[in-house]
Amino acid sequence: VTELAQAVVNGLQMGFLYALVAVGLTIIWGLMEMINFAHGEFLMLGMFAAWGLSAAFGLDPLIAIVPIGLVMFAFGMLVYQQLMRRVQGGDPFTQIFATIGLLFLLQNAVVAAFTSDYRFANDTLLVRLGGAKLTLLGLTFAVPLLLAAGLALVLFLALYLLIERTEFGLALQATSEDRDAARLVGIRPQRMFAVAWGLGAALVAVAGAILVNFFSVYPQVGLQFTVLAYAIVALGGFGSILGTLLAALLVGVIQSVTVVYLPPAFKDAFVFGSYLLIGLFRPQGLFGRF
Amino acid sequence: MGRLALVIGAVAAIVYPIPLQLQGYTYYQTVGFLVLLNAMLGIGWNVVGGWAGQFDFGPQVFFAVGAYTAALLFVKLGVDAWLGLVAAVVVAFLICAALTYPLTRLRGHYFAIATVAIWMIAQPIGATWEFIGGSQGLFIPVKPRASVVASALSLQFSGPTKALGYYYASLVLFAIALALMAVVERSKLGFYFRAIRDDQEAAEGIGIDSRLYKVLARSITAAVFAAGGVLYAFWALSVFPEQALELNWSTLPIMATVVGGIGRLWGPVLGAIILIPIAQIMSTTLGTGPLAGRGVDLIVYGLIIVLIAAFRPTGLLSLPWARWFRLSRRSAAA
Repeated sequence: VTELAQAVVNGLQMGFLYALVAVGLTIIWGLMEMINFAHGEFLMLGMFAAWGLSAAFGLDPLIAIVPIGLVMFAFGMLVYQQLMRRVQGGDPFTQIFATIGLLFLLQNAVVAAFTSDYRFANDTLLVRLGGAKLTLLGLTFAVPLLLAAGLALVLFLALYLLIERTEFGLALQATSEDRDAARLVGIRPQRMFAVAWGLGAALVAVAGAILVNFFSVYPQVGLQFTVLAYAIVALGGFGSILGTLLAALLVGVIQSVTVVYLPPAFKDAFVFGSYLLIGLFRPQGLFGRF
Repeated sequence: MGRLALVIGAVAAIVYPIPLQLQGYTYYQTVGFLVLLNAMLGIGWNVVGGWAGQFDFGPQVFFAVGAYTAALLFVKLGVDAWLGLVAAVVVAFLICAALTYPLTRLRGHYFAIATVAIWMIAQPIGATWEFIGGSQGLFIPVKPRASVVASALSLQFSGPTKALGYYYASLVLFAIALALMAVVERSKLGFYFRAIRDDQEAAEGIGIDSRLYKVLARSITAAVFAAGGVLYAFWALSVFPEQALELNWSTLPIMATVVGGIGRLWGPVLGAIILIPIAQIMSTTLGTGPLAGRGVDLIVYGLIIVLIAAFRPTGLLSLPWARWFRLSRRSAAA
């Protein structure tokens, strides 16, 4: 039982990190209904930037999230304005292919620049705290993961408040619900979309900078996280930010509990199995509005 | 596309490897094999993606189902490749139909994720199931054949005839797939598919069972992918999970379809002819230089896809070629 409880606790901590990866996708995909297959590449860029800043200047990834977030915000807006705005009105397939092209472009540009070698950020605060543990009620908490999960939760809540409680967030939601009506009340949809892309890119890059403390960095690293992120967004229901968080926690728990009983290779399979099972009963996801 | 162009294309496809083979080159036959294989997969994906308009990102599962079915039949029961191919196509069609029917409750993005989900579940199954060789997979031994005819009938070649043999085998399968889909495109089935893509509610309104036809579309795609998988497995002389379930088996054919023209019969063919040789030529020209193996070919792919999506999402075949062609001929005459 302790083993199971421990697995649940570990899963919840990973779940917060997954939530941060997935929430950028929720904004772009769920709220704005634009598909971004290059989401994992934004994550990878964030990881590479954090690794590079740490290796070259000794800047801790936890501090580097500020410049990385800002730069990626600008990058996300740029991607929207230069590429996605052109394909937005057309077939949904066109959006998919535009972002798949972007995926290939970004991923392999990084391969060309840095090769496909695995890299590790060694000299960071969380890595140095590596062995530290907290014990509570017979359960062990690894301090670095706990701190990272806490940071992820804070960022997540900030985003939730931004979307649900501010005028800007309401404008964003209005744009997602009815573009023409939004325009009538003085919202500029194009600007909203650009900001949504900026936010999505910034959030996932920040998530990448946090993940650098726990995972090795290589150009293809994005796929394993984004495949999960897609499942999380769909599981939570498109457009539901809280749904994303709960689905991410669920995914983290499913993974870590699966590993207790089955070979690790199956941990993602069970996540996707759960998605299919839930999909049969709730095709719109757990908290989806449509 | 005119009948004359079709005949010229067919003759060129049949004849071009012969002088190369006589001079002892096999490289371009292998490139041709990969082009035809991907073109065929693209033709298959066009059914579910282009006509029925469903986001299917997991057809590589059925590539693997086909490859494993035929390899198992050959290794365990000694069944030859062509017979195994027929079995593989049937098995993949049925498995796909059974798996896809419940998924058709999901629409749009949710369906797309579900096709990815099946791929994610297939990977650990392939890697751990001992009966199909686990992560090692299955090796397909070459048994010596008495004659070229026997080799062609069993898809087992030795020496330099292999490249030519597989080129023609892929040409045959490609031609069959193309001919079948040309029939489907103009049949009631093809119109039902496109009706569902264009307006599912309206299609249901006139009595089309959208779930049934989505399942049919995806299963036809699966059958084509299974045939491709068999061909590739016997060419590579092995099947293992990381190879047969590789993401490229769906991304390359899908990209070829988009570049050429999604929903057009010849779209994937044109796309494959453009895209596949790029990777081959690049790996040859870059050689062992500093940029070798650095994904430069994929950067070019990415660029092509982004440009197509941004400026001509309906693909290269949708450009007004006929008008340009006629115009240039007229100006040449004047």
